[in-house]
Amino acid sequence: MKKKIIAGKKKTIKKPLLKKITRNNLEELVSELTDELNIRKKQLKQSAVRGKHEKEKFRGEVIRGGVREKQGADREKQGENRERLAQEQIHIRTKAMESTFDGIFIIDALKPDFPIIYANPSFYELTGFSKNEVIGKNYFLLYGVVDNLHGIEEIKQALLQGRPFQGEMLNSKKDGKKFWSLLRISLVRDNNGTVTHYVGNKTDTTLMKQRNLEIEVQREELLHVTRVGKLAEFVSSLAHEISQPLTAILSYAQAAQRMLKDREPQLQEILQYIINDDQRASEVIRRLRYLLKKSKPTLETLDINVLIKDTITLMMPHIIAKNKVIKFESDSKLPHIQGDRIQLQQVILNLISNSLEAMESSNDARELLIRTSLKDAETIMVEVKDSGCGIPEKNLNKLFGHFFTNKPDGLGMGLSISRSIVEAHGGHLEAKNNPDRGATFYFTIPVNMKKDQ
Amino acid sequence: MKNNNAIIYVVDDDASVCRALGLLLKSHGFKVETFTSAAGFLAFKHPKVLSCLVSDIRLPNINGFALQEEMAQRGIITPIIFITGYGNIPMSVKAMKAGAIDFLSKPFTSKELLGAITLALSKSKVLNKKQAEIQKIKQRIDTLSPRELEVFHFVAQGLMNKNIASKRGTSLQTIKIHRGRVMQKMQAKTVTELIGFAQKAGFPLSSD
Repeated sequence: MKKKIIAGKKKTIKKPLLKKITRNNLEELVSELTDELNIRKKQLKQSAVRGKHEKEKFRGEVIRGGVREKQGADREKQGENRERLAQEQIHIRTKAMESTFDGIFIIDALKPDFPIIYANPSFYELTGFSKNEVIGKNYFLLYGVVDNLHGIEEIKQALLQGRPFQGEMLNSKKDGKKFWSLLRISLVRDNNGTVTHYVGNKTDTTLMKQRNLEIEVQREELLHVTRVGKLAEFVSSLAHEISQPLTAILSYAQAAQRMLKDREPQLQEILQYIINDDQRASEVIRRLRYLLKKSKPTLETLDINVLIKDTITLMMPHIIAKNKVIKFESDSKLPHIQGDRIQLQQVILNLISNSLEAMESSNDARELLIRTSLKDAETIMVEVKDSGCGIPEKNLNKLFGHFFTNKPDGLGMGLSISRSIVEAHGGHLEAKNNPDRGATFYFTIPVNMKKDQ
Repeated sequence: MKNNNAIIYVVDDDASVCRALGLLLKSHGFKVETFTSAAGFLAFKHPKVLSCLVSDIRLPNINGFALQEEMAQRGIITPIIFITGYGNIPMSVKAMKAGAIDFLSKPFTSKELLGAITLALSKSKVLNKKQAEIQKIKQRIDTLSPRELEVFHFVAQGLMNKNIASKRGTSLQTIKIHRGRVMQKMQAKTVTELIGFAQKAGFPLSSD
């Protein structure tokens, strides 16, 4: 039985041992390495024992007659060579493990308290614990009570059921500082299939997470501003629609009151009630209008290319989720402009979203192109070109009006707001169908905006 | 209130608003003409009485501001009160700068509207008087002979009799006679008054 295993293992050793270490194959490598390590240890022992045997045997033979001297010396030399090579391999692998950015730790799965038996320097750095505080300790005890108890339970369940684990979690360092990490735990089995070790691989994702969070927050803010803007336009339009009948009702009632002057006191009273309630409704509208008064745009010096890049970054998750590709051809020599960052970002965001929606239904319509250029010395041109379904000719004129929408849940405010923003910056926003497919929305922004605009 | 002669024009594309304002103003004794488009109002033959236009700003085709310009072009001197459901400050500033009497946000009370109309009608009175005066002056100018008209232009530019004579290549005496006739036909008592008439009639004033 034992012999069979060794024979089998010998085969494994012949595999190329040093692969390129990447984050993805790290776990695999570590588990491979641990396997190899164990096997080699055994082999070395055997090789040494064999060598010793040979030596003794040889000595005996020398004593007896010195016949097999040469053969024995060769064998010993062979054993030493093998040992040296194996040591070298182990050395390289240990160094490799110690130099990875990820925190790696190995848990002895055969001991009842699952102690950590190895951790690499990155692990100590990541967690803030020293070697003495880690080796021999249980991984979970190491962290004491962790914020995410549910997560711990999940890990335990996975390991007990003999499944690897992978999950992102918020951990505390020794000093209490929080950090996000991706923890992956793989299982090392012996040849009977018994889990002997767990290898943990901990990647610090705090920076990535923070960046993603920042992007998300920015996007949310922008979307919020857009929503508020849409709401404001919507309420303003609604206020107008309602103010018409309110004007009529008020005037009818006041006319009737006037006609009934000094007669019909009861009817007069009713008319007064109508007038009062009409004015109550008017007051609500007046207050709404006051609340939604547009805030003044704040002008700052802007690089339109940077603004567009930022907006693309914000939209990237959506673009990827929709399986679309965005290309940005920027003219790097564009002069700076004076404008309201948030408002202009709103316009670009709106145009990108519209383009993505136009390409939604079609799988082969994937490319969205944004191009900046200098139209003339005084004017910057921004084009957003999609390869979507295009705009029906009859809708080209209505696109920018209030309440025009072809989306079931749209308010029809996006383009009308975008146009008023661009116009407030002294430019124009237009749309046209491309000769081949899709549509292009393009706007101009004057380099020197007139002060009174 | 004596509103017997005044006409209030109402322009609003919302028929009900038009009707309601019409009824309200009639109940206050005004003569009212309502239109649901600017074009309708422009096509109407305006009698020379006190008048005031109550107009919405957002109108199809010709909006309130365009109507205001068109009226100035056509010499319709009716003062304008703008009404709108989209009231904002830049808009009202624009309207007032262009000579509107008031700018009312819908809905407004009859008191607000009547206050603005009273103001507009007193302005209308002034404008009508001024226009009647100009009309009278223009009628008098029409009675001048071409020679007299020419002399009138020179006088209006502040030229002395002898300068006019040398320019015309005629005798000083002839110019004096023409000038006397101009004063008489224009019913001007002094030269200053005559020059005032020339201004009202819109003569070019600078010489050369």
